[in-house]
Amino acid sequence: MTLFDRVFGGNDAVYGLTEAAIDGAIAQYGADQAVSFPNTAYSLPCYYSVTGTKVTNLGELKEALGVVKTLMTREKRLNDAFMSGVATALCAEFIEVLKYLNGAEPYSEPCYGHLADAIIRELGVPLVTGDIPGVAVILGSAPTKEDAVALVKSYQAQGILVTLVGGVIDQCVEAGLNMGYAVRVVPLGKDVTSVIHVVSVALRAALIFGNVTPGDAGALMKYTFERVPAFVNAFKPLDDVIVACGAGAIALGFPVITNETENIFRVPKSLIVQEDVSKFNATSLEARDIKIKITKIDIPVAFASAFEGEIIRKGDMQVEFDGSRKDCFELVCTKELTEVEDHKFTLIGPDFDQMEVGSKQQIAYIVDVAGKNMQTDFEPVFERKFHSYINCVEGIMHTGQRDMIRVRISKATYEAGFRAKDLAEVLYANIKNEFEAVVDKCAVTIVTDAEECSKLRHELAVPAYDRRDERLVSLTDESVPVYYSCIMCQAFSPSHVCVVTPERLGLCGAVSWLDAKATNELDPQGPCQVITKERVVDENLGRYEDVDEAVAKFSQGALEHVTLYSIMEDPMTSCGCFECICGIEPFSNGVIITNREYAGMTPLGMTFPELASMTGGGVQTPGFMGHGKHFIASKKFMKAEGGIERIVWMPKDLKEQVAERLNKTAQELYGIENFTDMVGDETIATDPETLLEFLTEKGHPALGLEPMM
Amino acid sequence: MGDFKLTTVEEFEAATNRLLETGAKVGADAWQIRVKNQTPHCKFGEQGICCRICAMGPCRITPKAPKGICGCDAHGIVGRNYLKFTAGGAATHSDHGREICHTLYAADPNGAYKVKDPDKLIRIAKEWGIETENKDIYDLAHEVAETALLEYGKPFGTQRWIKRAPEHTQKLWKDAEIEPRAIDREVACALHMSHMGCSSKPEALVRQSLRTGLCDGWGGSMCGTEFSDVLFGTPKPIDTEANLGVMNADNVNIVVHGHDPSLSEMICEYADDPELIAYAKSVGAKGITVSGVCCTSNEVAMRRGIPMAGNFLQQENVVLTGACEAIVVDVQCIFPALGPLSKCFHTKFITTSPIAQMPDSEYIRFSVGTAAEKAKQIVKLACDNFQNRKPELVYIPDMKQKSTVGYSVEALVKVLDGVTNTQVDVTGTTKPLIECITSGVIRGAVAMVGCNNPKIRPDYAHIELMKKLIANDIVVVASGCAAQAAAKAGLMDKRAKDLCGAGLKRVCELADIPPVLHMGSCVDISRMMILVAELAKDSGLNISQLPVVGCAPEWMSEKAVSIGNYVVATGIDTFLGVDPYVAGSDQMAQWLTSGVRDWVEAAYTVETDIEKLVDLMIERIEEKRTAIGI
Repeated sequence: MTLFDRVFGGNDAVYGLTEAAIDGAIAQYGADQAVSFPNTAYSLPCYYSVTGTKVTNLGELKEALGVVKTLMTREKRLNDAFMSGVATALCAEFIEVLKYLNGAEPYSEPCYGHLADAIIRELGVPLVTGDIPGVAVILGSAPTKEDAVALVKSYQAQGILVTLVGGVIDQCVEAGLNMGYAVRVVPLGKDVTSVIHVVSVALRAALIFGNVTPGDAGALMKYTFERVPAFVNAFKPLDDVIVACGAGAIALGFPVITNETENIFRVPKSLIVQEDVSKFNATSLEARDIKIKITKIDIPVAFASAFEGEIIRKGDMQVEFDGSRKDCFELVCTKELTEVEDHKFTLIGPDFDQMEVGSKQQIAYIVDVAGKNMQTDFEPVFERKFHSYINCVEGIMHTGQRDMIRVRISKATYEAGFRAKDLAEVLYANIKNEFEAVVDKCAVTIVTDAEECSKLRHELAVPAYDRRDERLVSLTDESVPVYYSCIMCQAFSPSHVCVVTPERLGLCGAVSWLDAKATNELDPQGPCQVITKERVVDENLGRYEDVDEAVAKFSQGALEHVTLYSIMEDPMTSCGCFECICGIEPFSNGVIITNREYAGMTPLGMTFPELASMTGGGVQTPGFMGHGKHFIASKKFMKAEGGIERIVWMPKDLKEQVAERLNKTAQELYGIENFTDMVGDETIATDPETLLEFLTEKGHPALGLEPMM
Repeated sequence: MGDFKLTTVEEFEAATNRLLETGAKVGADAWQIRVKNQTPHCKFGEQGICCRICAMGPCRITPKAPKGICGCDAHGIVGRNYLKFTAGGAATHSDHGREICHTLYAADPNGAYKVKDPDKLIRIAKEWGIETENKDIYDLAHEVAETALLEYGKPFGTQRWIKRAPEHTQKLWKDAEIEPRAIDREVACALHMSHMGCSSKPEALVRQSLRTGLCDGWGGSMCGTEFSDVLFGTPKPIDTEANLGVMNADNVNIVVHGHDPSLSEMICEYADDPELIAYAKSVGAKGITVSGVCCTSNEVAMRRGIPMAGNFLQQENVVLTGACEAIVVDVQCIFPALGPLSKCFHTKFITTSPIAQMPDSEYIRFSVGTAAEKAKQIVKLACDNFQNRKPELVYIPDMKQKSTVGYSVEALVKVLDGVTNTQVDVTGTTKPLIECITSGVIRGAVAMVGCNNPKIRPDYAHIELMKKLIANDIVVVASGCAAQAAAKAGLMDKRAKDLCGAGLKRVCELADIPPVLHMGSCVDISRMMILVAELAKDSGLNISQLPVVGCAPEWMSEKAVSIGNYVVATGIDTFLGVDPYVAGSDQMAQWLTSGVRDWVEAAYTVETDIEKLVDLMIERIEEKRTAIGI
């Protein structure tokens, strides 16, 4: 039996099952019965992305199956095998969507099943930065549960997002492995068809970030092949159905690594037989050309981005440093080269082993850096990375910044031998590794002595923060000589360009003007390039010839004009990984803003995923714009259309997050007190009529402004 | 895909027609005109049934006169002609190989010719059982060269290179009594057998044809290839360009043409010489552009990235551009027409080899000892000629394509290493390619070789066949003028992957190769023999079981028939688009298209309908796959 025969056989089998399942469902519920996955704007995402057609009910699903049949050609060519693989995947999606009929919740702990659009948008930035260097799909049962856990952990330690399908899930449960999206181990489901939920993520990524037109299957497959670093580990035995699914994976560019040796063919870089399961990790990374950033840090526990979202509960906690109750702070200080002894560690006060279990303590860590190209402007850039550095340590949780930090160390990590010097090592190694271009020397001082902490906080840290804040306030779009481009996302969203200005940070929320400046100086050929601002065309719109030229150049001609301050005229594009999206609300002359975390409805009649699907991928959609949370309080927020007084609605949580700064801006710009009280939220209205009543009652300023359209 | 687009044969022809207009203005002759004058061709000659090997004749076979004066029938006459044709080709390739051996013998660390790939030299020496330890590399070079030269006339034994073939193949050769002995002996033996009053039995004549072919492919040609690599470097992937647009109107244009790289290597060396570039500028040019025609072009393209101006039937076109200061030739496939043609322009037609001397040429005799000084003299002569250019006659068609060339077997293995997984695979083998083939991702491979021939619309067959093959996931390896046709069309541009089926496209993307791989000049078909031998050894299959066929759709020279014989004898079914003058004998046709299969497990297919030819190849490849259950 040839490889293609196996693919065709598996495809035929799945097709038969799907046809029976759909016919059965129609017999039971009728052809008008609605079908959909929850929390997605992309219908049946795989079928939609491949064909461009949205399926809404069982009758249409049956028609769609007819379209799938046309993919199942049987020439002895790889194209036929690829398309049969894709057809198998689409059948799997149909079988899976039937599980969700009538609002059913077919998946329960620990399985996730279908993944929401919001998760994909969150994945965007870490995938482009390499913080998530790849996506593993593990399928079937490992030879032993120890093998299963070892494999999952090996990927987790590298920061790779792991998805599990089939027997491996029970193996991990049995072994007591901590799973879940927060630790980047996502069990999808136990049926082989549930693998479609990760395929769905890859294909939606192509639509969201790649601006692939739904139905352009060629562009879709090119995008996933070139830009989605996923791969499959399939444990034996592989039946024809799995082989057919494998053909679909390979069609998308995802290599399959298996320990199956019976009746299998080998294809370089695509279908690889590795009998030694302990080498699956190395084999897979090589097959998909995934490079792991080597940050081998000499500490007694693991260090990987997979641990970034880990939560340490009180009961598991050895010790806690709490900036809200004790004097704590973190600080980067620029020194002269002669003043710093590289890799020096100083501890002032007791080490962790002298602290009472479960107690609240104070801590300060001061990182002195020196280098010929170091600038004090980089200090906050480095400092903001501490959060991620410390969180990546297995069993440590870090929140907050400056003197409002909270750090928890788990008992397990403490018992593994983690002490103050290890914390210092984490900071030292990462700073040196990431900022080697400007940091020649680095020394870390950790202070746990209460008196010393209090003294340094008030005499050293707070004045430093104040100086920086003054500098930040002085940083306005008008006061700086240049802006920066940011194309960090182009690995994922090839035609998107961010223009980063002091008052408008990158829409992902992760790149401020200072970050962009530092990135440019650290790597002059890198993703952030200087954009001059000499040739103003329209100051109010924020239109510059220089900016247009830069945007045209960095988008390879895809974009010609971009304004900095308008959402109506040539608004800035989005890659797809924006934190928030604002959209025009015609009844009130205003805009609503919604954010990724808010899953509910907005007065525009669309959810965040639905709104987000209209923009992203580097496309300009006047009236809609993706942006960072921080931008909401900026004086430049849609300045051309009148600024923040246009904001009429935000989800409650978001409103609370930005209230203080937004109110301050409203006060300064318009003299309005407590502006956010006038802004609606989901507890007030999710439809335009009720919202309008509320706004009228509050006398919201947007109502008196000129219409935006 | 961006702005990538193949150049069509129609566009080639439009450019040629424009150049012929220039030719008409200056009263130049052209092959297009001469073809008309020669048509219709002699029917007896075409069918191979004219015998003029003794002075009793010439005898021609007709239904009324079915035998020659000596009594030889059509089968004997066709068979003898076929064998003589083969001998001519084998002698030509092998003598080229011999010249290279002599150059290697004269290699000198302080001379013009050096050993550029000592590792390969040592590898060959070890293969031949020559002691390499503690030996100066030049001493070793001379010893290996002498050993190789002895292969041409050794009184006993068979060719050393045949040990590279899989054991099964060697056994077939032994059993069929076609193991090639001394190279010169096989050529001489062929001429002896085809002398008046010797063999007239088709079986015997065909057998010696295969044997003579083998002394070329697994003898003289292999010497030519292997020792050219030792001297000038083993090719590795390199970017270049192809078609007449590579000539530069602002520069002194020197075109190298022929087959032996010893000359062209030196010309390229001196065209890069700052002193001569300065000299070119002093006569008003902006620089010096060397480009090539025919196989000498393939040689320097593979090793230096020198652009390819064109293939066999474009040789007159380079002169017709009016911008060619010198066309410098060595041996083989050079039109005597270039002499008179060059007189219509300012072009210097420079012959260099005692083997290929022609009227109306400037003969600057080239030899190993004086190579550097002669090369310099030629480049300078070309520069001096720049000011004689007639601007009103200058027209260079703005037509060229990018290509990545240089796929020696060594380079291919390196490419294949790039797609292995070090956790599971060994490197340094052809196994990744075998895996692509057995899994069905690639259906098979076709070796496209050979010339142009006015009997076939030039380049059309090459390009159309290749397009259809790659669309069917069949990878193409090409050499000679077939390779240049591919390069001119754009099929050696990596972006041509988009013209492939999904399987070959994926392979091209993963391995970062174009779908048509340039393996070199016509002597380099020996590379293809080594490649199939390696594929057979690495897969455990016989060569004849591999889904691989050979094809020469536009062939014309005696060399091509010699090649065909050794390709078939190596176990590879070979498809020809032009009949090798055997139509006059059904017995000979039967031997060549099926009888030889009993000896070597492969045979010829002749099909002058190009559409059918490609379908037949695809069919054969699929048959071979089915036979081994893949």
